[in-house]
Amino acid sequence: MSAQALFTGFFGVAAVWFGVVVFRTSSMVRSALALLFSQAAIGAMFLAMQAEFLGVLQVMMMATEMSIMAIFMVMYMMDPGGLGEMEMTHQKRASIAAGALAALAAAGVAALTDWGPAAAAPPAAEQTERLGAEMLGRSMLIFETAGVTILTAMIAATAVAIERRRRR
Amino acid sequence: MSALAVLAALLAGAYLVAVLEGWSATGRLRPAGPAVSAAALLGRESVVPRRPDRVLFEAAPLLLLVSAVLAAAVLPLSPRLVVADLATGALFVNAALAYVMVALLMAGWGPDAAYAMVAGWRFLGQLLGYSMPIVMAIAAIAMRAESLRNTEVVASQAALPNALYQPVGFAVFFLAAMCLAFLPPFDLPTAPGELAGGVEAEYAGARLAVMRLGRMVLVVALSAAVTVFYLGGWLGPALPPWAWSAIKTLAVAAAMLLAGRYVPRLREAQVLAWWWKLGIPLALLNIFWVGVVLLVAE
Amino acid sequence: MMALYVALAVGAVLFGVGLYGALSQTNLVMIMMGVELMLGAAMVNLVAFWRFLHPETYAGQMFVLVVMTVMALEMAVGFGVGTARFRAKGSVEMEEARELRG
Repeated sequence: MSAQALFTGFFGVAAVWFGVVVFRTSSMVRSALALLFSQAAIGAMFLAMQAEFLGVLQVMMMATEMSIMAIFMVMYMMDPGGLGEMEMTHQKRASIAAGALAALAAAGVAALTDWGPAAAAPPAAEQTERLGAEMLGRSMLIFETAGVTILTAMIAATAVAIERRRRR
Repeated sequence: MSALAVLAALLAGAYLVAVLEGWSATGRLRPAGPAVSAAALLGRESVVPRRPDRVLFEAAPLLLLVSAVLAAAVLPLSPRLVVADLATGALFVNAALAYVMVALLMAGWGPDAAYAMVAGWRFLGQLLGYSMPIVMAIAAIAMRAESLRNTEVVASQAALPNALYQPVGFAVFFLAAMCLAFLPPFDLPTAPGELAGGVEAEYAGARLAVMRLGRMVLVVALSAAVTVFYLGGWLGPALPPWAWSAIKTLAVAAAMLLAGRYVPRLREAQVLAWWWKLGIPLALLNIFWVGVVLLVAE
Repeated sequence: MMALYVALAVGAVLFGVGLYGALSQTNLVMIMMGVELMLGAAMVNLVAFWRFLHPETYAGQMFVLVVMTVMALEMAVGFGVGTARFRAKGSVEMEEARELRG
C-alpha cells in the first residue's frame, strides 16, 4: 500500500466519520462544524492526490461557507445547542436503505470496473498554470457561464430574502 | 533545520509584537511584560464555565494558534528560510487564516455565555466584509508574480515593491489584515469595553495564555504576509535578507497596532457597509489596474 | 492504483451518508448539508479520476471548480429561500410545507 493510498484512506475515513457526526449529533453548531471538518478532510484528500490548487481552494472555501451555515442554523433551528435531544428525522429506515444501496452500487461499480493503468502526476506549479490555461482557453464559455450564474444567484438570493417594505 | 529557525523567529516575533502592543496601549515600553503576564496566566486557576460545549471550548485556542502557525509556515524569511515553500503558497496563507474564523466561532459558542456568543457571531459579520477583498488583493499580487509561490512573489518585486506598484491593493490588504487579526478599530470580537472581552471573556489561565499567544502569532503572520506580498520580503541593500524581513515585519506590525488607537471602534453595520460598498470595488479596480499595467508595461 | 480504489470507496460511502441525510432530515438546513456531502463525494471521485486516469486533461479539474461553484450557489439560493420561508411561517421544517400538496 503506497503512502498516497494510506493518506487518502486516512483523510477519507476522517471525512466519512465527520459526515456521520453531522447527522448523529443533536447540537446544531457541532453539526455545522462537523460538516466543515468533513469538507476540510475532502480537501486534504485532494492534497494527498496531488491536486494542490484544488485542495487548498476546497479547504479555504469550506471554512467560510460552513461558518455561514453555522449562523443560519443558529438562526433558523429550534434547538441550536442540542440540549433538548430532539428527534428530527422522518422515513428513517427508507433513508438508511437508500443511502446504503447508493453507497454499495457506487462502490460496486468502482471495484468491478477495469480502470486501466495509473498515470503519473504533473508537478503542482505546472498544474495551476495549465488549469488557468484550460479555464481561459477551451473552457472559457463554461467559466463565463459560471460567472453569470453566480451573479444571477446573488441577485436571486438577495431578492428572495429581502424584506418587503410595507406601503402605508 | 531552517524550519526550526523560522519557528524560533516566529516565537521571537510574537514576543516583540506583544511588547509593541503593550507599548501602543499604555505608552510604556516594558520588555519583560509578556513574559511576566504569561507566567501569571499559566499560574492562575483555570476557571471553566458551568456547561460549556467541551469540545469546542477546548479546541478554539488551539485552532487559533495552529492556523496562525500554518499561515506563517509558508511565508519566507529569506530564499532558503521557509518551512514549506508550497507552489500555491499565497493561496495557502488565506486558507490557513480562514480557520481563525472557525476558531473564534468555537470560542464564541463553546462557553455557553452571552458576551462570547455575540462576539463570535460579530466576527462572522466582519468576515463577510473583508474576506472578498483580501483574496482579490492576493490575486493581484499573483498576477504580477505569475505564480502563487511566495518566493517567486518576492522575487517579482525586485524592480519595484508591490506597495508602489499596486497601492490600492496594498491599502485594501493592510486593512483586511487588521480586520482578520481583529485589531482595533476592528476589534469587535474582543471589544474590551463593550463586550467585556468578548471571545476571551470566558477563558482563564492556561487557555487564555494560548489564545493570547495565538493572537500574537496571527499578528506576526499577517505582518509577514504584508511584507512578503507588498514590501518586497527580504529584498534590500546592505543587511542580510533575514534582517530585512524582520525589520519590515516589525514595522508593519507596529503600524497595524498604532493605526487603530486613534480611531473609534467601528460598528458591525459600518464595517460591512464600508467593505461592501468601497472595499470590493477598490479591490476589483486594483485587479484591473494591475492587468492593464502588466499588459502595457511588458 | 490502490489509492484510486480507496478514493472511489470513500466517495461512495460519503455519497451514501449524504443521501441518508438529504432523505431523512426534516429541516431545510440539514437537507442542504446532506446535499453538500453528496457534492463533496462527487468531487472526490472527479479528482481521483483526474489524478489516476487522465492527469493531462485539465477539464477534470475544471469540472471540480464548477462543482465547487454549484455548492456555493446552492447554499446561497437555499438560504435565501429559507429566509423567506422563515419570515412567512416562522420555521423551515419541511414537514410543515404542505400548502401545495394535492
